[in-house]
Amino acid sequence: MSNDRVRVRGLSIFRPIIYGNTATVLTPKERESLSSPDHTHKWTVAVRSAASNPNSDIVGGADDLSYFIKRVVFKLHETYPNQSRTVDKPPFEVSETGWGEFEIQIRITFISESGEKAILLYHHLKLHPWNATGEAEIPPLDVAIKYGPVHSWQYDEIVFNDPFQNFLSILTAHPPTPLPKGSKRPVPFHLSNPASLEASKGGTPEFTTQMAKEEADRLDAAKKEVLAQQEAMRLQIVEKEKELDSLQRQLNSMA
Amino acid sequence: MAASASDIRSALSIASQPQNPAQTPAQSKKLQAQSSRKPDGISRELYSLIGPSAPSLAAQLAKPKLKQKPNLGSRSVVKWEWRSFTNGARKDKLQLRHWTKAATDVNADYPFAKYNVQSTPYIYTDEEYTQYLQDPEWTKEETDFLFNVVREFDTRWYVIYDRYDFQGGPARSMEVSVVLFKLDTYDQSTLSPQDLKDRYYSACRKLIRNRPWSGDEASKSSLLASFHFDKEREITRKKYVASLENRTPDQVAEEEALYIEVKRLEQSERKFKKDREDLLRVLSGVESGLPDVLEDESPFNNLPIIDTKKKRKGPSSGFLPTDVDSPTSASNVIALDPPIVRKPRDPKSIAYDAQHCIIRTDLPPNVQATKAAHHPAFMRSFKLPYPKAALAPRINQIFAELGINNTRLVMPTRDNCARLEGLMEHISALVESKKILDKLEYDIQVAKKRLGIRNSEDREGGGGGGKGKGVGIGSAMDVDDGDADADAEAEEESVRDGRAQSIVSTKSARSRRPTRRSMSISSVDTNATASARASNKRKFRN
Repeated sequence: MSNDRVRVRGLSIFRPIIYGNTATVLTPKERESLSSPDHTHKWTVAVRSAASNPNSDIVGGADDLSYFIKRVVFKLHETYPNQSRTVDKPPFEVSETGWGEFEIQIRITFISESGEKAILLYHHLKLHPWNATGEAEIPPLDVAIKYGPVHSWQYDEIVFNDPFQNFLSILTAHPPTPLPKGSKRPVPFHLSNPASLEASKGGTPEFTTQMAKEEADRLDAAKKEVLAQQEAMRLQIVEKEKELDSLQRQLNSMA
Repeated sequence: MAASASDIRSALSIASQPQNPAQTPAQSKKLQAQSSRKPDGISRELYSLIGPSAPSLAAQLAKPKLKQKPNLGSRSVVKWEWRSFTNGARKDKLQLRHWTKAATDVNADYPFAKYNVQSTPYIYTDEEYTQYLQDPEWTKEETDFLFNVVREFDTRWYVIYDRYDFQGGPARSMEVSVVLFKLDTYDQSTLSPQDLKDRYYSACRKLIRNRPWSGDEASKSSLLASFHFDKEREITRKKYVASLENRTPDQVAEEEALYIEVKRLEQSERKFKKDREDLLRVLSGVESGLPDVLEDESPFNNLPIIDTKKKRKGPSSGFLPTDVDSPTSASNVIALDPPIVRKPRDPKSIAYDAQHCIIRTDLPPNVQATKAAHHPAFMRSFKLPYPKAALAPRINQIFAELGINNTRLVMPTRDNCARLEGLMEHISALVESKKILDKLEYDIQVAKKRLGIRNSEDREGGGGGGKGKGVGIGSAMDVDDGDADADAEAEEESVRDGRAQSIVSTKSARSRRPTRRSMSISSVDTNATASARASNKRKFRN
């Protein structure tokens, strides 16, 4: 038992998660039945495992994260009744209706075996359709409804350093479902990759390792460009140094 | 002849057993077994005559098995064409012709062009030089010179040695020929051509190490390895080669004799050991069960062999050699502990780690684990790098130009975070270089302005200077003249009378001179020349 509370040094273990929201425009009929008729959207904010279930229409959530997450608290806008929504059981999500976008604070508390403090995340609730510029341009509702549900998800990895032995055993007992290499489903849109706008349309998106690879390629391409510029600049510097040198020599010879 | 009879029967496909009741089944079996052992390459008849007692003959008779001849006829003939081609590696547009398979693409690149490898020249900035490349034995000028020569001759070191003459530096390569051919007299104190290579390669290595690298670590280290140059080792190697080449025939003969002698000694020692073992066996009276004497040439070579032998022997014979009565077994029981080698990670555990998202890092061994030192759980994206505050606007601008969001990643995996971090470093370096470049440009402008001012001053002062110079020259001439005057006057002293007379009278001094000469014969020559010079001068001046 005492062995369980020993930290495994030199080891870090992570779990891929996604957090974000899905939003759909309410039909006029649905709005009528609401207590607050000014609400235009129905949305769900959630913390889920990154991999999606095949044939499911939700983003991510293939694994039940409650093996290491004890509780998730979503802190909504202050205008909502009981602003902080605590979710102790999976699925870790809150569904609401509303009319405006705002920042949601997400506090993830881990199970006590982890011995770790809670982690704070922020998510901007996204209700209106994406556009390439990222500018908030709100189309009229009847147009927006044709776009279908809006998805805004961020992939991330929760890293545990030197975990306790028993926590490590718990984690290794639940290997995460690996992300698929590629998918027929749309790509989750992200502002860091505006080029994915077209690919993000038409259905429930799914996270894939392909996305990580593409991002790696983007970063590598950028690095190559920077290095090329650096090389060019180095040549320029060498040239300028020579020029300056000859000028200095001329000056010195005159003095 | 039973065999031949049965042969006939078998050839006529008559069942032998039912019709030959005299032959017992056991016999026929034996026969069959015998005939089945007939080796290849010998006819049955002959074999049945000579029986199985001639294996050597059979081996000779066996037909050599040759590889089957390749079937050349069935394939269609490949068509070749005489085509002209351009070599992509050439800068001139030289057209040559060669034979190619007609099936190859006409516009395909010349396949050998890729072997024209251009080595990447390394250029360094002043800053890089001062930061990494300073060496007490080398000045920057000489290093520049070296790099230029290396670039010019494409790292062909013999040419570089030949052409390397840096004015004012220590002699580095001039004795290359001496060194190459007289390595036995090689002296450490003289500077060697190795210096050039050493300097070039070490500088390149430093540059590679310190510059941002676009590829992965493996390619970097392989590039570094390709620039590896160990000067000491190279010198030792050349010394060895030289000493090997410079042996006299006597020395060679002696070496061979010694080698044979060593072999002979080894052999006799082995024989002695064997004899001793035999003797011991006889004396101790244990003929069996002793392990075979191993002929050990080197004591470490056959340790594993002993091991395997023991393993094989032990359980099968059920008799383990006792250590006490056999002196050899003492050496046999030495069991070496398997060397402690850090096991390379086996693929299984790598797969396990990948499955469970585990990352292992080597721990520094003497770090005490404290509660305070524990790194709490975090989100990967929390660790994205921040640009340096001073450079942040410029760095962010470059990120924007590249279309990369440096505050958020789509997939902040470990790999991608590291990539972003690397990118950030490179961009910072780029911004720093830009600063240096700007400063240089500013300095150049300042220098140019100063030069311009200096030049215009000079042009003004150049006019003035010219005048001054003219004046200077004039005055110098004056002085010269004055000197000449003084000279002339001093010499004229003696001719004054003559001149006075010449002025008075219209007669030339010369015409008068004889009269004067007559007066003082001793001074005739000097006077004559002096007066001539003086009169010339006067004429010139007037």
